[in-house]
Amino acid sequence: MTRTRLALIAAATVTVLVTAAGCGGDSSPRYDATPAPSSATGAGPGDPQAAPATSAPASEAPCNARASLRPSGALPKAGSMPAGSRMAAIQKRGRLILGTSQDTLLFSSRNPITGQIEGFDVDMGRLVAQAIFGDPQKLQIKVIGYDQRVNSVLKNDVDLVADTMTANCARWKDVNFSSIYFEAGQRVLVSKNSTAKSVEDLGGKKVCSVAGSTSYDNIGKVKSKPIAVARTSFGDCLVAFQQNEVDAISTDDTILAGMAAQDPYAKLIGDRYTEEPYGMALNRDDPEFTQFVNAVLEKARQDGTWTRTYEKWLGRLGPAPQPPAAQYR
Amino acid sequence: MTTALAQRTPPAARYTPPASGVLSRVGNLRQHSPGRLQLILAALLTLGLLTGLVAGLTAHSASAGTTRLADRAQPLLVEAETIYSALADADTTAAQAFLAGGLEPVELTRRYDDDLARAATALTDAARLIPDGDDAATSVEALATGLAKYSALVATARANNRQGLPIGASYLSTASQLNRDTLQPQAQALFRSAGDEVDAGYDAARSSWWLMLLVVLFVALGVALFWSQVYLSRATRRTFNVPLVAATGLIGLLILTTAVLFTSQRSHLSGADREGSGPVAALAEMRIMVLGERADEALTLAARGGSDKEADFDRTAGALDFGDDRVVGVPGLMIRAEEQHTAYLAVHDKVRALDEGGDYDGAVKLAVGTEAGQAFGDLTGTLDEAITDRKAAFTTQIEDAGSGLDLLTVLGPLLALAACALAAIGIRARLEEYR
Repeated sequence: MTRTRLALIAAATVTVLVTAAGCGGDSSPRYDATPAPSSATGAGPGDPQAAPATSAPASEAPCNARASLRPSGALPKAGSMPAGSRMAAIQKRGRLILGTSQDTLLFSSRNPITGQIEGFDVDMGRLVAQAIFGDPQKLQIKVIGYDQRVNSVLKNDVDLVADTMTANCARWKDVNFSSIYFEAGQRVLVSKNSTAKSVEDLGGKKVCSVAGSTSYDNIGKVKSKPIAVARTSFGDCLVAFQQNEVDAISTDDTILAGMAAQDPYAKLIGDRYTEEPYGMALNRDDPEFTQFVNAVLEKARQDGTWTRTYEKWLGRLGPAPQPPAAQYR
Repeated sequence: MTTALAQRTPPAARYTPPASGVLSRVGNLRQHSPGRLQLILAALLTLGLLTGLVAGLTAHSASAGTTRLADRAQPLLVEAETIYSALADADTTAAQAFLAGGLEPVELTRRYDDDLARAATALTDAARLIPDGDDAATSVEALATGLAKYSALVATARANNRQGLPIGASYLSTASQLNRDTLQPQAQALFRSAGDEVDAGYDAARSSWWLMLLVVLFVALGVALFWSQVYLSRATRRTFNVPLVAATGLIGLLILTTAVLFTSQRSHLSGADREGSGPVAALAEMRIMVLGERADEALTLAARGGSDKEADFDRTAGALDFGDDRVVGVPGLMIRAEEQHTAYLAVHDKVRALDEGGDYDGAVKLAVGTEAGQAFGDLTGTLDEAITDRKAAFTTQIEDAGSGLDLLTVLGPLLALAACALAAIGIRARLEEYR
C-alpha cells in the first residue's frame, strides 16, 4: 500500500519534472527537420528562449514519459513471431540490430581485451534477441552517437536503441519508449581534490557532457551557471577531464560510476538533481514491437533476470534495488 | 669660426661643369679618323666586357637555381611527402591495432613506432630546408607541437588498453581526430608549399630574364663587331683585320657554347619536371589516398557503422586514377598498382559484406588479417617502388641539367675578355698608323 502511494508520488513528481524540464526540447534535431531559424542550432542549453519554443501545446494531454504501451497478451514463442509484425521482419533478417555506444562502462562499452561491446544496456538488447530468436547472440551492435539516438530509430538504421537514454516527452514525439528499465539521476564527477560539494558550487567552471543528451541540457539549467562543454561521447568527456580541459563531468550517476571506476582520481559529489528514467527507443510505426519489448521487460522483472543483470554489471554500486515498476497508458 | 663658414660659398655651386663639356669632346672625336677608331674601340670593349659579365652571371644564376632545386626544393617535397604519408600510416596502424583488440599485435606496434620516427626525422630535415619566416615554417612548427601531443595521446590510449579500461578507445579516437583534422592538413599544406617551391625552383633555374639580356648583348656585340670590320676594311683598304676576325670567332664560340648548354639545361629541366618531380608529387598523392582508404576501412569497423567513413572510402576509391597523365615513365608499375588496388577493393568489399551481413567479428578478422594486409602491402609496395624510381629519374635529369653551367660561369667572362683584348690589339694597330 505504502509502496504504491510512494510510487504514485514519485511518478507525479517526475511527471512534473519531466514536463517542466525534459519536454523543453531535445538538443539534437530530427534528421529531417527543417533547420529552425533561431532555436535548436544557435541556442545553448538551458537558453531561456529555447525551452518554451518547443513545449507542448496546451490542448495536448499531460504527458507521462514513463508510461508506455501495454503488452497485449503473452509473449509469442521464440522463433515464431506473428506474421506482418516488426518482430517477424527481424526474425527473417536473422539478427536484431541494437544501437548503443561503446564507451559507457557498465552499460555498453567495448571490452579492450575481447573487443566485444558489453554491459547492462547490451544485455537488455540480448533479452529481446533471446525472445525473438531464442538465442541472445543474434544481436548486431551498431555504435551510434548520442545525438543520433532518435534519428537512428526514425530512419530504421537500428531496431531499437538501448543507450542510457532518458525517456522524456520531447523524444516521445518522435519515437516510442519501452517501459522504464532503469532509474538513474544526474550527478557530478569532479577531481579528488576538488572542494565542490554539489553542482551548485561549480559556477563558472567547465562541465562536460555529451551533445544531444538531456544531461547536457540540464547543466545549462543549474542556477550557479557552470559552463557546459559538449563532447561527442562520454569517453571523450573523460579524456577532456583527464587532460584538464574541463573541471567536471555531469551526467547520470550510473555513467559517472563507470568513469570513476576508470579514474581513481575522480569522485562523485552531490545528490541526484534530476530523474533520468531509461527506456529503449523504438520506431512509432511498429507499436506491436513496443508492446513486445514491454512484455519481454515484464518477464525479466518477474523472473529475476533484471536483478541478475543488475548484479552482474552494477553490483559494485550496492545491492540490486527493485526493478522499476512498469507504467502503461 | 662661424663667420668664416658663413663667408664660404657652398662648393656645389662652383663644381658644376659645363653640361656639354664631355659630350661635345666625345662628339668631336667623330670628326677625324683616329677619333672614330677610338670610339669604335670603346664601344667594342664596353659591349665585350658587359657580355662577358652577363654570360658569367647568367650561367651562375642558372647553375645556382638548378643546384637549389636539387638540394632544397625537391628534398623538401620528399620530406613533406614522408611526413604526410607517415602520419596517414600511423593513423591507419593505430586504428587497426585498436580493432585487433586485446594486446596490440607486435608488428603493428613496430610499424606505428616506425611511422612516428619517420615523421619526426623528416620534420627535422624539413625544418633545416626552410628559411625562417617562410609559410612552410609555420606548418613545420605546428606539426612538431602536434606530433608530440599525438604520440602522448596514443601512449595514454595504450596504457589504458593494457589495464582493460574502455577509456583507452576514447584516447585513441581523440588522437586519430587530432591526426586527421589538424596534423594531416598541416602536412598537406607543407606538401603544397614544397610543390610551389619546386615550381619556383624551375623558374629560377631557367633564369629566363638573364638569358634574354644575354641574347640582346650577343646580338649587339655581333652587330658591332661586324660593322667595325666593314668600316675598317673600307677605311684602311685591308680586307681583314685578323685580330678582330679572331675576336668575332671567339664570340661566336661563346654564343655556340651558351646555346648548346642552355638548350640542354632546359630540356633536362623539362625532363626533371615531367619525369621526376611531377610524377613524384602525383604518386605521393596516390599513396596518401590509398592510406586514407585503409584508415577509413578500420575506422568504419571501429565505429561499427556509426560514422560515414565508408562514404569517404568510396569517394577516395573513385578519385584514385592510376592512369594519371602526370605519372610518366612507370607504366608497368602503374598497371600493377591498379591490379593490386582492384584486388584490395575486392577484399574490402568482402569486409563490408561481412559487416553489413551482421558478422562483425568476421569482418574485423578479415580486415586486420593477412589477406587484407598482404593485398594492401603489395599496393603500397608498388607505389613506393614507383616513387623511388621517379626520384632517381629526377636526380639524373637535374644532374645533367646542371652540368657545364659552372664551366660557362668561368669560360664566358674569359672568352669575352680574350675577344676584348684581340679587338684592342686589332684597332690599336690601325691607331698607331696615325701617330
